[in-house]
Amino acid sequence: MAALVEYIHEDSPVHRLNALTKIFWALFTLGFGLLFNDYRYLLALLASVLLVAASARVLQSLLPVISGLTVFAMILFLIQALFYNQGQVLFYLIPGVDRVPVTVQGLLSGLAMAARMMTIILSFLVFLTATRTQDIVLTLVEKFKIPYDYAFMFLTALRFIPSFLNEVKMVSDAQQARGHSIGGINPFKKIKSYAPVTIPLVLLSINKAENIAMAMETRGYCGGNRTCLRDTRMGRTDYLLTAALILLLASSATARAAGYGVM
Amino acid sequence: MNRQVLIKAENLTFKYGTEPPVLRNISLEIARGECVAVIGQNGAGKTTLAKHFNGMLKPVSGKVYVGGRDTERLKVSVLARTVGYVFQNPDHQIFHDTVGKEVAFGLKNFDLPGKVIEERVTAALETVGLTAHHATYPFNLSKGQRQRVALASVLAMQTEVIVLDEPTTGQDYRESMQIMNLVKKLNQNGHTVIFITHDMALVAEFAQRAIVLCNGEILADGGVRSIFSRPELLKETFLKPPQITALAQSLNRYAIPPDVLKVKEMYELLKARGEEIGCFS
Amino acid sequence: MTLLKIENLTFSYPQSIQPALKNINLAIKKGSFTGITGPTGAGKSTLAYCLNGIIPHFQGGKLGGQINLRGDSLFTLGTAQISRVVGSVFQDPDAQIISADVEQEVAFGPENLGVPPEEIEQRIAEALYLTGISGLRRRPTTVLSGGQKQRLAIAAALAVLPEILLLDEPTSELDPAGTEEIFQVLKKLNREHGITIIIIEQKTEQLATHADRIVVLNEGAVVMDDHPRQVFSKQQTLEAVGVRIPQVAGLAGMIGVNDRTPLPLTVEQAHRFIERILRR
Repeated sequence: MAALVEYIHEDSPVHRLNALTKIFWALFTLGFGLLFNDYRYLLALLASVLLVAASARVLQSLLPVISGLTVFAMILFLIQALFYNQGQVLFYLIPGVDRVPVTVQGLLSGLAMAARMMTIILSFLVFLTATRTQDIVLTLVEKFKIPYDYAFMFLTALRFIPSFLNEVKMVSDAQQARGHSIGGINPFKKIKSYAPVTIPLVLLSINKAENIAMAMETRGYCGGNRTCLRDTRMGRTDYLLTAALILLLASSATARAAGYGVM
Repeated sequence: MNRQVLIKAENLTFKYGTEPPVLRNISLEIARGECVAVIGQNGAGKTTLAKHFNGMLKPVSGKVYVGGRDTERLKVSVLARTVGYVFQNPDHQIFHDTVGKEVAFGLKNFDLPGKVIEERVTAALETVGLTAHHATYPFNLSKGQRQRVALASVLAMQTEVIVLDEPTTGQDYRESMQIMNLVKKLNQNGHTVIFITHDMALVAEFAQRAIVLCNGEILADGGVRSIFSRPELLKETFLKPPQITALAQSLNRYAIPPDVLKVKEMYELLKARGEEIGCFS
Repeated sequence: MTLLKIENLTFSYPQSIQPALKNINLAIKKGSFTGITGPTGAGKSTLAYCLNGIIPHFQGGKLGGQINLRGDSLFTLGTAQISRVVGSVFQDPDAQIISADVEQEVAFGPENLGVPPEEIEQRIAEALYLTGISGLRRRPTTVLSGGQKQRLAIAAALAVLPEILLLDEPTSELDPAGTEEIFQVLKKLNREHGITIIIIEQKTEQLATHADRIVVLNEGAVVMDDHPRQVFSKQQTLEAVGVRIPQVAGLAGMIGVNDRTPLPLTVEQAHRFIERILRR
């Protein structure tokens, strides 16, 4: 699953947007999705998210996730359809005794729930696949004045997770090949049985950290004023889009207060 | 001579999940007492193949037999009694505070009596030439010495087969030769040895047989001489024969055979050739 | 022109009785390709650390002697200043790639030195072109092969526009194809772009082919410093130190060399060498 929400490089208009704009968009989708419970509004929102995914050219890569979500959405739909029993009865699931009614409202609210769940999750996935992790972090650094060193540390840690996991595998393979097995019921013994894996890992990590620090040192890290290749500032399109999203959300809230979009 | 097959793979195919296969349709037999080099470029599947020999990996389709037993249902810790595996980086396994304890680790996992463990540790350290370092902290040793500690810890388990994954990578010339001479000695003492390497000169000098892997398939499997005398075959997996073999092949028209493996051998050939035509001093 | 002059350099690690470097004297000329070899523990990496400022800035110890970088004392410069002249590449590809993608990795050095973004952009393109990995610009670093990772490490060092490229066993974890990739890149950088190369390497066949000078270290001291042909003809000394002699040089050593048939260093040279002997 982790591999499915990784950043996918494309040169799309969505990719070119500032990370902050995309965060706003995901939050807008969340807000809009929670405001309304009319299935038509939520289906329209879902369609808009899919449209953004398509223009970011990540729809194809997200298909496995979408199909997984659809199964989940269907379960949600069924549960809602079965337990919502107000309104016009379509039929009874257990006919003879008129038990477990399935109502029109139940079906529609099931549809709304399913669409809402998919929309909200999908919008965040689109955001993550179309935005580099380092851009997200750097934007946050810029906006919230987090010291660069901390952000950098965080990013470097992220970068080394896969190679660390790889190392875990290699060390545990090496110990297994010498007849070692992790286990036992006695909790004390169990903890002890991890030592052959954890000790080499700690030593390797310390060694690696030292090597990375040396590599950074020889490439001028901490040399004073830093520049940044990627522009983390917002452009004109970013401001326009963000403003539009905020306006849209505000008018949606007003419409909702006036009674629109609720069933 | 009675050829006893110790490791046998039948149409072995392996892949991770839905990715393309790392190994495709591998069939091979390794007999008792052989010394086999597995060669091929990175990503050819060498380590993946070797990990099937001690059950660390199980075939997705096909079969692997070790000592006649199907590895499918056997645990690594069980197969570890038959196949010892020395990993490329000794630092992936060393965790004790003395060399002696490190070497004893595998034996303790087999629940052997203390006296037997002690004897075997002593013998293994002697074989690798580290007797004096029994009580040394392993990380005070050089990388080459640590590699020998790792080798000793596998030796002490007295397995019939020993697999070594790039035993000389990252080591200097002298350390490499020490390790390889040890490997040779083990083979002479009856161990079946399989080693992975990128160093063709070591293959020429120490292996009898080479298995050439390319994109997960066996490109060639045979005597080292016959493999190295086919440079076009090696080229397919981006390997080159040792310098001396390449030189012999370029001297084809002076009746130098194309399968010379060692410098000394080439010297003798040239000397004989030179004496014939009377131009060698 | 001498770019780097090492005079009476001595270094001892803390808590160590034996010095790691003893009285090293070396002069590195601009545009040269120097190979440094010798057994484990000879002081090769320590020497490299002295040249890129890891010693004394990152690793302490007892330091003596002098290193001059175009007239400046190297020890008075910070690592960031040194990095503008000496680009470093290390052994382990995974422990020197800091960023998640190729482009960002190359940008890291220039960013640290405050180079404006537009210029970083140009330098990335140039560095990737020189190392032959322009096509990988948008890739995550985790999917690269070993040879590609080391070429990226070279590109990242080049983006700072150093005059010297200092490499510490860059091919030790690579297969023959990866090793060849690296040496081809270094050869091009040296011949066509005048970059001075200092490489620590165990693979003496490659050094014999590409380096114009070889320094052999043993027990912290320089035991040989000469043209590869001279170095590889002193085969008894090399055996004693534990340096691998390229096979063709070893063969010629057994046969005997003279002015008309000098020591061969490559298979092609050995071919001519043998032909001359057999025709004599």
